[in-house]
Amino acid sequence: MRIEQRRRFAILGLTAPTYLWLALTIFLPLSVMLYFSFLTVAPIGNREPALTFAQYGAFLDKEFYRFLTWRSVMMGVHVTLGCVLIGYPAALILAHHVPNRWREALFLLIVLPFWSNALVRIFSWTMVLRENGLIDRGLQAIFPDAPSVGILFTYPAIIVGLVHSYLPYMILTCYISLQAIDRSLIEAARSLGASNLAIFRRVLLPLSLPGLLAGMVLVFVPVIGSFMEPRILGGLEGVTLGTVIEDQFTAVFNWPLGAALSFILLAIVLTILAAAYPLLRRNLQPF
Amino acid sequence: MKGLLKSLVSGYLALVLVFLYLPIAVMMVMAFNQSPLYRLPVVWDTVWFEELAGNERLLGASLNSVVLALINAVIATALGTMAALAFARYQFRGKTLLQILLFPPITIPWLIIGTSMLILFFWTGIGRGLHAMLLGHVALSLPYVIVVVGARLKSFGVTLEEAAATLGASPWQVFWRVSAPVMGPGIVAAALFAFAVSFDQFVISYFLAPPGISTLPVEIYSAIRKGFTPEINAISTIIILVSMGLMLLFARFSRFGGER
Amino acid sequence: MIERRGIVGAAAKAGVGFVLAAALAIGPMIGAAAAEELNVLNWQGYGTDEAWALELFEERTGVEVIHDYFNSEQEMLTKLRTSPGTYDVVLINSAFTEQAAKEGLIQPVDSGKIENFEDLSPLLRDSPRFIIDDKLYAIAWVWGMTAVAYNTEDLETAPESIQVFWDLEFAGRVGWRDDAVEAVSFAAIATGQDMNHPEDLDKVREKLRALKPQIRAFWSSEDEWNKLFAAGQFDVSTYWSGSAARSATNFDLPVGYVVPEEGAIGWFDGLSIATDAPNPEAAHAFINFLIDPEFYVRWATEVGAPASANREANAALPEGDMGREIHGDEAAMKRLQWMAPLSDEERRTYQEIWDETKAYFAQ
Repeated sequence: MRIEQRRRFAILGLTAPTYLWLALTIFLPLSVMLYFSFLTVAPIGNREPALTFAQYGAFLDKEFYRFLTWRSVMMGVHVTLGCVLIGYPAALILAHHVPNRWREALFLLIVLPFWSNALVRIFSWTMVLRENGLIDRGLQAIFPDAPSVGILFTYPAIIVGLVHSYLPYMILTCYISLQAIDRSLIEAARSLGASNLAIFRRVLLPLSLPGLLAGMVLVFVPVIGSFMEPRILGGLEGVTLGTVIEDQFTAVFNWPLGAALSFILLAIVLTILAAAYPLLRRNLQPF
Repeated sequence: MKGLLKSLVSGYLALVLVFLYLPIAVMMVMAFNQSPLYRLPVVWDTVWFEELAGNERLLGASLNSVVLALINAVIATALGTMAALAFARYQFRGKTLLQILLFPPITIPWLIIGTSMLILFFWTGIGRGLHAMLLGHVALSLPYVIVVVGARLKSFGVTLEEAAATLGASPWQVFWRVSAPVMGPGIVAAALFAFAVSFDQFVISYFLAPPGISTLPVEIYSAIRKGFTPEINAISTIIILVSMGLMLLFARFSRFGGER
Repeated sequence: MIERRGIVGAAAKAGVGFVLAAALAIGPMIGAAAAEELNVLNWQGYGTDEAWALELFEERTGVEVIHDYFNSEQEMLTKLRTSPGTYDVVLINSAFTEQAAKEGLIQPVDSGKIENFEDLSPLLRDSPRFIIDDKLYAIAWVWGMTAVAYNTEDLETAPESIQVFWDLEFAGRVGWRDDAVEAVSFAAIATGQDMNHPEDLDKVREKLRALKPQIRAFWSSEDEWNKLFAAGQFDVSTYWSGSAARSATNFDLPVGYVVPEEGAIGWFDGLSIATDAPNPEAAHAFINFLIDPEFYVRWATEVGAPASANREANAALPEGDMGREIHGDEAAMKRLQWMAPLSDEERRTYQEIWDETKAYFAQ
């Protein structure tokens, strides 16, 4: 029984610090918000709240909330796809085709853009993407008659900005997984006559799936709640569920609705993750 | 054929780096541009660096950001790695629930978490201050650390550790000779994430910073109504260049990317 | 397999200890208070935090002014609610003064301690927005307009009507602030209704939807507006009057500013003292300092500012000052509708209308 006890102590000791910390700073405050989402008005100042489901009802009543939710989810899908398509090959190259002495340096170069401020980065993107911006000027320097390809204030501009912001997450999580693959496995497969494609499908992809999935989760989940990039880069197309939630806190004193919409967002995320659960369970720690 | 593949491969990586650094380059160029409105063409000038040198508030805020991000990275990486170890090495009841609980911090928009923290810290007497900001930053960093370190652990499995133990290695030998090197790249990546999450964290700091104390993101965002000057670009440029130097130095003397 | 729990157990023990140590180490990190301090809550860069002004005030009174900022009125209220006993002076838009007073967030101001009080324009000084239950809760500080700014290089003459925003000639050339109350107000003015409480909200909805082909970009800050304008993104836009003067004077942008014949939005801001302010004496002194012509003229001419509530201060501005010209047009001022307090319910309705409109824009 002593072994069982020590096992329990180990689990408790390893997880308790994290979860106590999260309980105090996230779960307790969020329970308060969850409670608020069932009130008519936040019980702050001299307001008298009453219990209601009206906030969640609004989501069902008003078609545009559902439209915006769908839009946010699609935005998450597009950004995640973009990050996978650009990031996975980059991670693969970094892990298996870059000489040792360069690898650490490149690895760090990929994280570094992250250490600048998001708002400053987005304003830089507006310079690049706008009509008569850097891309246009560059093109016109080569082809004087080139038409403008400025995409600022459109949906693609949002995607570009978001893919840029989240790409390092994808590259790094894929990399740490790909880098763990023993090279002798690949050599063995090759000596047995496997083609490059077969090596990728049968060896690399399955073994790096944990990293790929972790990266997808770390990109998709925060992106669907994002509001800053859409607001600044999206112009007329910049409205998302995230911006509507933000407005409930900054523009109007409607915390209950903002909270309700956030918990709906959380429920959607959990539903999507639940649908992917069999896949995640096999491949993703912690699952 | 092999040469062609090789240049294609490095060409691709170069393109990705160009994409990642395009806005950073713009940011840096604008730090040297005389126009506060990012106007083109660029008129080269170091006026914003001179202004920055006299801006104690901004410099102080930047220092706060760096210190906070460093402490946050250490705490979050330590706690998160422990939790990831527990998830990777043990089966126990309630594990799935604990794992699901990692999602609210990254799903619920920070604005809402920030507002709720402010209210709860007010009610419980924790109050506002650097301690409260650190509490919030670590909480937001933990899920990233756990997922990243977890992905690394999952890729390796436990066979190496078991083999070492079977061959007579002591627990500490197993940890330092096998587990730590195996987790190394994951831990480094997690720490870099944790640093980045805190360094760019605005909402939580904004609500929890007491008057007179601020961080770089707080300075930038609260300047939004009137507008920030390219001094922000100047300080960001300095930070990026200094960290680039430190990182390359670090990369030169360590093998955290793993031997291969 | 069995050996491993040893290290894991050790790591677990270390972890528990570590959390405790960390919690203890970072407890009291806030420095002790200096001699005499005054805490101000305001928008960043809105006059009170000019370095030269703070130096001057400290020189005269020995009081060090410390700032905290907000990015929206709701945030300002939340900060007041959750940090009692922290702030002394707080800037509040007159449409929110009543709410702050009724929630007990601010205390009455003693006008006897404000030497410059008599010089304030009576219209603003004695406004019912500031006098709640017969007590004065704010000292009028500045006022301004939200009206039409245009690019003088693209438009030879100033637009006369607010319908310029809906004019197809400017399709895709309009800048608009992403703000629900302001959007509803402009649509109400354009449809000939009361700006604060429009009766026919369907007309407002329809008018806002008609902006879809017109709007090029949303702006939310002066900085963003300047950058968009400098990049030639729009020809006509909603804009704040003080900011327009600043854009033209300090950034040399070709900005013209006009109050259309149908009217525009007028607003004024007051300075209040928080309930349980730690330093009410210095708060009164600082407010008096801020409404003094000496401070205002320097602020308006060197930095750019909205109009002062102090008649003497406005009169002291140099001839030809753009702010003075914009704010000195009495006929234009008569056309303004003034921002009034709105109920929570009204704000929510306007927000929903605006969010629904934006969803329509994105379809």
